[in-house]
Amino acid sequence: MSIPKALQDRKFRSTSTGRLWEKLLVGLLAGCAVVTILITVGIIAMLVTQSWGFFASDAVTLEGFFWGKEWTALQSKDLDKARFGIGPLVSGTLRVTVIAMMIALPLGLVTAIYLSEFASSRIRNFLKPTLEVIAGIPTVVLGYFAILVISPSLQFLSGGELFDTFNATSAGIAVGILCLPMVCSLSEDAMRAVPRELREGAYGLGCTPFECSVKVVVPAALSGIISAFLLAFSRAVGETMVVALAAGTLPTFSADPTQQAQTMTGFIVEMIKSENEYGTVQYFSLYGVAITLFVITFAMTLAGQLIRRRFKESYA
Amino acid sequence: MSMPAALTDQDEVFQAENAAKRKRLSRVFYGVCVSIAMLSIVVLVVLLLSISWQGKTRLSSDLLRNAHSELEIEKAGMSPAIIGSLCICGVCAFAALPLGVGTAIFLEEFQPTSKPLRWLHGFVQLNIANLAGVPSIVYGLLGLSVFVFMFNVFGRIQVNESSGLELTGVTHFYQLLSLESGQTVLVPRTDLQQKTIKLESPTAGFSPSGAPIQIGIWEPGTPKPTDVNVRRRTVRKGALGGAYSKHAWYYFRLPFGQSFLAAGLTLALVILPIIIISSQEALRSVSPSLREASLGLGATRWQTARNVTLPAAMPGIMTGSILAMGRAIGEAAPILVVLGAAVAKNSGPQHLMDSVVTMPVLIFNWAGRQQHEFKELAAAAIIILLIVLLVLNSIAIFIRQKMQQPG
Repeated sequence: MSIPKALQDRKFRSTSTGRLWEKLLVGLLAGCAVVTILITVGIIAMLVTQSWGFFASDAVTLEGFFWGKEWTALQSKDLDKARFGIGPLVSGTLRVTVIAMMIALPLGLVTAIYLSEFASSRIRNFLKPTLEVIAGIPTVVLGYFAILVISPSLQFLSGGELFDTFNATSAGIAVGILCLPMVCSLSEDAMRAVPRELREGAYGLGCTPFECSVKVVVPAALSGIISAFLLAFSRAVGETMVVALAAGTLPTFSADPTQQAQTMTGFIVEMIKSENEYGTVQYFSLYGVAITLFVITFAMTLAGQLIRRRFKESYA
Repeated sequence: MSMPAALTDQDEVFQAENAAKRKRLSRVFYGVCVSIAMLSIVVLVVLLLSISWQGKTRLSSDLLRNAHSELEIEKAGMSPAIIGSLCICGVCAFAALPLGVGTAIFLEEFQPTSKPLRWLHGFVQLNIANLAGVPSIVYGLLGLSVFVFMFNVFGRIQVNESSGLELTGVTHFYQLLSLESGQTVLVPRTDLQQKTIKLESPTAGFSPSGAPIQIGIWEPGTPKPTDVNVRRRTVRKGALGGAYSKHAWYYFRLPFGQSFLAAGLTLALVILPIIIISSQEALRSVSPSLREASLGLGATRWQTARNVTLPAAMPGIMTGSILAMGRAIGEAAPILVVLGAAVAKNSGPQHLMDSVVTMPVLIFNWAGRQQHEFKELAAAAIIILLIVLLVLNSIAIFIRQKMQQPG
């Protein structure tokens, strides 16, 4: 058999320029991928070098930084009187995060169960976009919602003076609303990956829908759900605009959710907003806070990703 | 066949009761599920209603036309912020899209076969997932170091002073007052170290609009020229001129300083992981048989990616990218760090190194104030921001619907 005429007078071999071009393009694409690693390296290098100016200062000791219960970097211009103990900021972050998780985790998980086990396709088509819209709301809008609606409602419900205008609870609730779609969609993905045979087996043994979802599907999807929880936790810790608007600006070391609670991210924003001069120890303290924040969120995300990969039940 | 002992041991009354109890529990659980799932809808409705109730009085053309004003609160608006947000998003898309899609193609289409490369591949993948979890404010600090200061390699930017490494688009002058009140003339500046000059003799110069003129000198004591045009280009002998720079729109310098270019690039870092992950998903959903057919026809991997996979994955990539742009428009924290919290700006950026105000930062500023008027303004601005996001999302959904139709 002969090759068609149109093809006969053409050479079908890669030219050397073509091969070079191909190599060049692949190299370019690999360069794009390398940029993502450079970003991580850049973040770590930036945080370490900049916070060096803070930790190397005589006014700061590592012990005092981690265990101190007073943080007055913004309030005291005088370095001798400034106290750098990250305790209040961590306690503020924890209060907001715990409240947010108390809202996002149960609600998100139950919504996910509903979406993956019970909801008809009509309700799904309605509910999923709603959650996507909530996920797409800018965080500054939720912060405004917290001071406009949540905080006054809390004051009204508790009968007046119990809650400050700015308090950890209202910020926590808003952050919880923010994390809910994330928990929901990640856990729903995990539950939908559970094969039908497991559910059918459970129903065949006489399980009610409740028992099937709580005793079979949720345990089968547990690794995905735990990783969703960890990712949401890290998101809540790193959330900035909501707490900057609604949680107040006073660092307080307590467990009282009705008080003001400056968080780590809230402090960074306040420091940037303030007129503190570049180069002072007080200014560099924001990098000390930032590196703490980064380590916490990075560890959480890494753990979440690793759990998801390592303990992925495969039903293939 | 007989039943197992464990089942026959229990009497029927107990079994029936137990079954009824379990069914009741299941029904209660179902009810809880429905009500909690509907709760998210309620929250969304309450949010939208309360904000539109608060902001409805301020939704006027003033809001879209005017700039922020401390004094005339009733006329304050957000037009520079809208322009600023769009500019920053443009820069952000320009930087993040090629980089993100390129990375996704590399990760999906060029899967390595050798062991160390596979390890690297997995590492990059894990790294991207981690980057997605880094708080945006940390990206802001990175942008501050990398783009705004550039590690102080080129010196620090000082206010009202040309500093750093200016590459193009700037001309330096000395500005002198002419005899006509309120009018100035410009004298070219060559020595950048010298901050002021004292003009003693006639010299060639420019009018404020840039036309070349001959600057005349008036000796105090002699009669002043009467013609307006002459007075405009005449200065008093010994007049002092201060430094003044004219920036063309393509003014470019290193480091970027607090410019919208720096802010856009920082935002690009924030949304890069999102674009990569969604593009990867889109590429992964392209049927492998298409890819294999192309490779079987003798196409190289790049040709396959360029001509087969990428077009097939385009709707997914575009949807993901538009959603990422929505995230970028609403993002406030990194911009707050890079550009600072100042909102007093009357117009959009004049040149590449100009600072801007963005919608979220303006909303943050307004919402944090005590006055009731500003709270209403913030609500109105939020409505505008949400409308912009709604438009973006509708485009994304439209593309998804349109492109998903077979054929």
